[in-house]
Amino acid sequence: MALCPPADFESLFAGVAGTAFGIAARLTHNQADAEDLVQEAALLAFRAFASFEPGTNFRAWFFKILTNCYFSKRRREKSRPVTSDLDDTPDLYLYARSAEMGFPTQGPDPAAQLLDQLGTERVVAAIARLPDEYRVVATLYFMEDLSYEEIAQALSCPVGTVRSRLHRGRKMLQKALYQVAEESGIVTHHAGAAE
Amino acid sequence: MTHPLNRTTCEEAFRRLDDFLDRRLPEPEMRLIEEHLEICAACAREFTFEASVLNGVRQKLRQLTMPPDLLTRITAEIQAARKTGSG
Repeated sequence: MALCPPADFESLFAGVAGTAFGIAARLTHNQADAEDLVQEAALLAFRAFASFEPGTNFRAWFFKILTNCYFSKRRREKSRPVTSDLDDTPDLYLYARSAEMGFPTQGPDPAAQLLDQLGTERVVAAIARLPDEYRVVATLYFMEDLSYEEIAQALSCPVGTVRSRLHRGRKMLQKALYQVAEESGIVTHHAGAAE
Repeated sequence: MTHPLNRTTCEEAFRRLDDFLDRRLPEPEMRLIEEHLEICAACAREFTFEASVLNGVRQKLRQLTMPPDLLTRITAEIQAARKTGSG
């Protein structure tokens, strides 16, 4: 049986470029920075392509380089303050709050009304409030149908870490979504509601 | 022998919520949760809401298009690096 020739870097990169740009845009919140990040990662990946094992997961391999570039860039910038008020968010936070506010919690797509009122930019703003380690995992999770194993490979961490960060990150995101909704007047704060 | 989850084991079902929504549970456990959701309206509402939030966030975040010339620019950079031997 004839072996397929190994794919060249450009064709493999072309297959992940769109998603890579999406991840970069959500991490950097800025189109120009996202383009720079993808370009920097692509050139680094090209130079390191000899270390890529043909037949293995190029997507996870490339996203590892992309996230490393992002973390490296972040380290060079001034650290953001940690958004600690998202810690210890109770389970089902958005569900409970939505019910309090009269948003539907039943039906085929009960959160759609709230999320549609929020719109993409506010959902992006909510993600941006997560501490870095949760934000990066959540971004990889939401932007591409990566398995926990692929996310772990991209971030060089154990699968259990991905699982726990996703669990906590989802809870934090629910509170962040609610905060953004409240700040934009989509919902109003109820005195005495659980924080 | 395992027993189907029932109204008294909502807590057990809830502990598996994330793994269930991400289809990370072994198939027998997935079925147990599905059976529980069929008989427990409260859990079914919570699970559906959580799934709806995840899907909604996913859809919103994915509303992005790569600039049409970005791939061309990067490919040109790579080809230039290949020619100069810096790859």
